Amino acid sequence: MSNGADSFVFQYLAPFVGVLLIAVGIAGAVPGGYALVEPELENCGNPTIGVESPAETAERFGGDEPGPQLPQLAFEELSSAEQTAFLTAVDDPVGEEQVVGDVPNADSFRRGALVAYEGDRYYVTIVAENTCFAAAPLQFPLGVFAIALGFLGVLAPPLYRRLVRLEQRAGRSE
Amino acid sequence: MLNRAIVEGTALAALAVSVLFLWVRERRKARPESDGGYTTREEIEFEIGRIQSEVYRWLTTTDHRDIGLLYIAFGTAAGLWGGVDAMMLRTELLTPPADIWTPETYNALFTTHGLTMLIFFVLPVFFGIGNYVLPLLIGADDMAFPRVNAIGFWLLPPALILVRMGLMIQVLGQLLNLVLPAEAIRFFLTMREVSVGWTLYAPLSVQQPNPQIDLLLLGLHLSGIATTVGAINFITTIVYERGKGVSWANLDIFSWNMLVTSGIALFAFPLLGSALVMLLLDRNLGTAFFATEGGGAILWQHLFWFWGHPEVYILFLPATGLMSLILPKFVGRKLFGYQFIVYSTLGLGVLSFGVWAHHMFTTSADPRVKLSFMAVSIAIAVPSAIKVFNWITTMWEGDIRLTAPFILCAGGIGTFIIGGVTGVFLAVIPVDILYHGTYYVVGHFHLIVVGIIPFLMIAASYYWYPLITGRWYDTRMARFQALLIVFGSFVTFMTLLIIGGLGLPRRQAIYPPEYQLAQQIATVGGYIIGLSALLWLYNMLVSYWRGTPVTTTDPWGLKATSQFTREWQWFEQRMVDKYDIEPTEPETTRRSYAPEAEPTGLAGGVGTVAQTVSRNAWMAAVGGFVGTVLMSGGLITAILIGVLDPVSFGEIAELVGLPASPAIGAGLFLVGGTVTWPLLFLAFSDYLPGRLLFETGLVFATLISSGFAIAFYTGQSGLAFVGYLTFVLVSHWAYGIGLTVTFQYLKSDEALRSRGGG
Repeated sequence: MSNGADSFVFQYLAPFVGVLLIAVGIAGAVPGGYALVEPELENCGNPTIGVESPAETAERFGGDEPGPQLPQLAFEELSSAEQTAFLTAVDDPVGEEQVVGDVPNADSFRRGALVAYEGDRYYVTIVAENTCFAAAPLQFPLGVFAIALGFLGVLAPPLYRRLVRLEQRAGRSE
Repeated sequence: MLNRAIVEGTALAALAVSVLFLWVRERRKARPESDGGYTTREEIEFEIGRIQSEVYRWLTTTDHRDIGLLYIAFGTAAGLWGGVDAMMLRTELLTPPADIWTPETYNALFTTHGLTMLIFFVLPVFFGIGNYVLPLLIGADDMAFPRVNAIGFWLLPPALILVRMGLMIQVLGQLLNLVLPAEAIRFFLTMREVSVGWTLYAPLSVQQPNPQIDLLLLGLHLSGIATTVGAINFITTIVYERGKGVSWANLDIFSWNMLVTSGIALFAFPLLGSALVMLLLDRNLGTAFFATEGGGAILWQHLFWFWGHPEVYILFLPATGLMSLILPKFVGRKLFGYQFIVYSTLGLGVLSFGVWAHHMFTTSADPRVKLSFMAVSIAIAVPSAIKVFNWITTMWEGDIRLTAPFILCAGGIGTFIIGGVTGVFLAVIPVDILYHGTYYVVGHFHLIVVGIIPFLMIAASYYWYPLITGRWYDTRMARFQALLIVFGSFVTFMTLLIIGGLGLPRRQAIYPPEYQLAQQIATVGGYIIGLSALLWLYNMLVSYWRGTPVTTTDPWGLKATSQFTREWQWFEQRMVDKYDIEPTEPETTRRSYAPEAEPTGLAGGVGTVAQTVSRNAWMAAVGGFVGTVLMSGGLITAILIGVLDPVSFGEIAELVGLPASPAIGAGLFLVGGTVTWPLLFLAFSDYLPGRLLFETGLVFATLISSGFAIAFYTGQSGLAFVGYLTFVLVSHWAYGIGLTVTFQYLKSDEALRSRGGG
């Protein structure tokens, strides 16, 4: 395949394989690395709740009383973490906040629940589970290795040309 | 969940720092200290003064070339920003649950990705290319309104900042939160990127309280003003500023496309502006344009898509203009069917305003209204297909040079064909109802917006790089980059088409685990696109300092095929004036559409057009008759063996309103074979492959045999089907041979007689 200073393998194939390796490597290393650091950075595993205003809640049920299947909770029944998230979400423009701490009412929220607070009723549901990211332990190191190897592939053409020049110089000096 | 603001801010900062580092490093390398000493304080002061004057110049310039470069730089920066959004989206989709970003962040990412790419990347880059080369192509001194041109550009940066303010405020808020209590900076912690989708559908966009939506609407409004101003400038320049000898009949194809694009923008963007103001009023002043009690939420969709679909053509037409301009240069042939490309462009300009409701097939709009939109949406494929046909025919038998611009042109045609054909399916109401909410739609339009559109931007950057910078880029790296981006786009968006076809819903951060492998393949393809974009950026930046200087006035050898267009003539003059370089003259020149000689027509091209046509026509008719008789031998054998049903000939007779008799059908078949097909062959034989006429005839026969095979198929299966296809093919070859050999025989006979007579 090698043809003097112009080799298809080193000029095009090697960098192509290199880019593929980098792309696959990023796909492995970024989530792999994130899985390693996530517990240090984030409150993963704690869901985000969405709280609808009393007006939106009333509109949701069209003036009817919600059915018996819908959990109805008093604000005081919520854990302190749930209370904090609830109050923050009520003030939030989008009406969402992550619960940081215990979520004993997670199942109720998952199905959608009514929370009574200061005489008003708020419809509360889980909008994101925020599950912890899980990755194979080897994913990060192998991903980094693939990126490094890929870079070598991408740099193959100039390296190859340098080697060819070296060979040519050596040939002349002999 | 990762913090999006920090990650995206860091990624963009890293990108900016890398570009700056490369710039400074290469610049320093290019200008070493001549005495080998250290840089002195005076020199630093001089450098600062120089930078100040440069900044002042770029801020106040009204030169069309400077503004063109500003547009291109701005569009590239916006494209990289939108690209970072895309990479973040694809990273989330590596795993089925929403475990890298929250679903809300994911929603914000696809909202801002869409808006940034469509409004701030594509159009500014095309306006930049137009600004730089269009006045050169039409022989104008500058744009018609240079100051308005500058204003049009300078409205864009604040527009982008307004639209993307959410991210900046989020980053600022999080930085401030390190030193200030949350209560004191509540505003900064409240703002966030808009997450209602780039289409801003009411009632969600009216009801969501995020104040960033208002800023976004103002930013979009500003960008609309910028676009309208730019469009007026292009139209006026093309109509009034054309140089001597540039008429409508020979106006270059890129300028035609920019004219139509600007015309569409002129009608579409003011409407978007009105709709945006109505949405702002609904959100802030209690009007009810899009409330159920007022105009209704569907009104927003009508107004939005009345702008939105023409916008698709605003993005697409400049790319086709570049294709029609650049492709012929690298195949050594004149653009095939210039007039038809112009007509198809004008047709697209008009039709683009008649298809908007195909985005609304899943709404409750009246089915009869939808039906008319379905018809026009299918019809709009025709002008696009005309373009594709003309590009392919331009390449056919051409003297192809495998350069980066050519690879991107050919790749662009490929992605456009697939992206376009999948769009025709979506134009059909029942198909759209099934696929509207799936990745099929994402795959379809990305094959165009990450296919032909950026491919042609990059092709243009390579094609005009010597003209703009006076240097060559790394051509080998460019070829590699071109192949890489074509490959990456196919991998990514074909995968999305497939998973969409399987029914995977789009716009969801969470998806079923069985789609994980496909999503991972698409993500890796996306990363390849990202890497190839970085490779392009590297090549453009580094070659500006390190590229080999251009030492010829005709870098692409365009004079050899008589395609040395006006912008290159301007370049030549500049090289002569600036460096006293002798204008390059090629060893041989030929007309760009006839590799060997002037086109003479099949019969020798002697006499008037009428004589030539009639002579060719009767010789073709005789050839066609002989060919059809030969073909009949094969078909009769097929009937005798039992693989071809003679009843199918009866259908031909029925088709023209005669009784369904196989005998009448066979007679009609003979007439068709004698008149219609030979004339078609005569029209297209110059553009079909094959050095000798009989080779061309075989190709022609093979092509038309596919139509026969479909038309005369009567449900054969198994071996009968194989036999049917084989007989059809062989019979058509007999036709092709009979047609062309007879034709050549008659031609040589006539030539002999005319020489004897002369």
